[in-house]
Amino acid sequence: MSVTKKTGGKAFEILQNLPRITLANLRPEPGSKQLRRGRGQHGGNRSGRGHKGERQRGNRPRLGFVGGSTPFYLAIPKYTYNEGHSRRPQYQPLTLKRLQYLIDLGRLDTTQPIDLTQLVNARGVTVQPLKRDYGVQLVDEGSDIFAAKINIEVQRASEGAIAAIERNGGVITTSYYDPISLGILIKPVPFFLRGQPIPRRMLPGEDMVPYYSDAENRGYLADLDKIQQARIALALKYGYALPNISKDELYHMLSMRKDVRQIFFGLAPGWLVNMHEKKILKPTDEKLLKYYNS
Amino acid sequence: VFRNKIRCVSSFAGESAVPPNLLLPTNLVDPSRHRRPAPPPDTALPILRSCDTSLPAHLSPVRTWVQTLMNPSDEPLGLTELHPDVFAVPPRLDILHQVEIWQKNFKRISHAKTKVRSEVRGGGRKPWRQKGSGRARHGSIRSPLWRGGGVSHGPRGPTSYYYMLPMKVRVMGLKVALSSKLAQDYLHIVDSLDIPTPDPQYLTELIKQKHWGQSVLIVDVGEEFPENILKATEELKTVNIIPAMGLNVHSMLKHESLILTLETVRFLEEKLLWHDIRFSPLYPFKLPYSDI
Repeated sequence: MSVTKKTGGKAFEILQNLPRITLANLRPEPGSKQLRRGRGQHGGNRSGRGHKGERQRGNRPRLGFVGGSTPFYLAIPKYTYNEGHSRRPQYQPLTLKRLQYLIDLGRLDTTQPIDLTQLVNARGVTVQPLKRDYGVQLVDEGSDIFAAKINIEVQRASEGAIAAIERNGGVITTSYYDPISLGILIKPVPFFLRGQPIPRRMLPGEDMVPYYSDAENRGYLADLDKIQQARIALALKYGYALPNISKDELYHMLSMRKDVRQIFFGLAPGWLVNMHEKKILKPTDEKLLKYYNS
Repeated sequence: VFRNKIRCVSSFAGESAVPPNLLLPTNLVDPSRHRRPAPPPDTALPILRSCDTSLPAHLSPVRTWVQTLMNPSDEPLGLTELHPDVFAVPPRLDILHQVEIWQKNFKRISHAKTKVRSEVRGGGRKPWRQKGSGRARHGSIRSPLWRGGGVSHGPRGPTSYYYMLPMKVRVMGLKVALSSKLAQDYLHIVDSLDIPTPDPQYLTELIKQKHWGQSVLIVDVGEEFPENILKATEELKTVNIIPAMGLNVHSMLKHESLILTLETVRFLEEKLLWHDIRFSPLYPFKLPYSDI
């Protein structure tokens, strides 16, 4: 751009000729204040409350009451497909398009394994464990533009997304985090400041074990051989040549995987992190070691 | 007789004499006010400090004179380059007003409290029987209708007027205040706060000679200030010195002139520009972050 823009613009130049801005000169933006004084303060006379009755006296019945007949929310029958809808696990979707965007902007480091912590630090996703979020799911919108070799760990992934990542020579794993571990994973620093030892990650419940034991979903509980077979099968299905990762220079990073009970890379359950003195305390008692290593 | 002793000129065209009964505002623009011109692009003076961060191509830095407090002469030492996103932002007067009102009110706790009819001493017994006495019916002698009775809708207990403006609004307020000071030629940059004597008289004469105005706010970074300037400003009511962390919109508007050192300019630019590029907080910024 050849013309340099003055940030202040014309207003800056006009200000040079105006009186000094002091405490006496300031006034609010016209229309921002709604102050009225006197009898018109609350709308005047009946103040918008109507005439007599429950309306004016503030005694109206509860929300949903329709005067005595069966209200709408009771008249409609329940059905089993809605049962426990508010307790179902939810997964925040992450498109491959957004993932590529974050990698291109440099917010995600492809030379390190990509974890939910890294995604949250890059402000790529917002996960709310208190709203029944159990993690992040990879969605295959943008699989045609995706071109990055990464080691990514999510909680759910669609087949197309798995294919897109493996086509570019990356590694994808799906793993389970129980809500407490998820809360710790998202915000590690407030957890470390609490002064509690890192807990063990819980195993999935019986309805989720088949999902995470399946090699098709690249579950973390599945056999590594079956995962290799599933990779080959998926490459045949989607019609791309499966690149050989073992000859890659970043093979060590791509093959990094967390232990079943581990929450953070490099930190085992039972350890206590002291942020202020920058020390890690490990348990020495036999029973504790036995518990944390089981 | 003018309220202030400064001669003011009316902006009406075609009238030479100001009518005697005209009440002029005290801060009317005084054209005889000594306003120094902007540094021309071909000065021989060196640029003592340029912006730390690299500016985008469409922005150019603002240049101002750098003066010294050691000798009271008017000659500047050199030039400084100031970041336009801190010292030349659009003059958002509504943000200045918001921040000023916030500063005034968020600390306020009003302790006004009146007694309600249940809190006033007495008034539990019905004063006279309901019917037959001929007087109006009453239930207690402390109802709001009675003399000495409770107040029905009075102030109740300590009320807090605490609220927080968003961080970025408060930062913008500081930027707008600095920019408007620079635009109206009330901002002066100084290389350091060394003075030859701790005499307050020296400072007042210096301010008068340099035409810095009635009140001056001096800002510096660092834990220790030179003793001379501390002693000199201690006695004076209109000349005040504050650390850079204490810079706020209210103080800037209250004092006529603002004096910053080069170190302060660097500190302010660093702190105020960070808010333009930072991520949103996952947890409060006071807790340790490894990457921000």
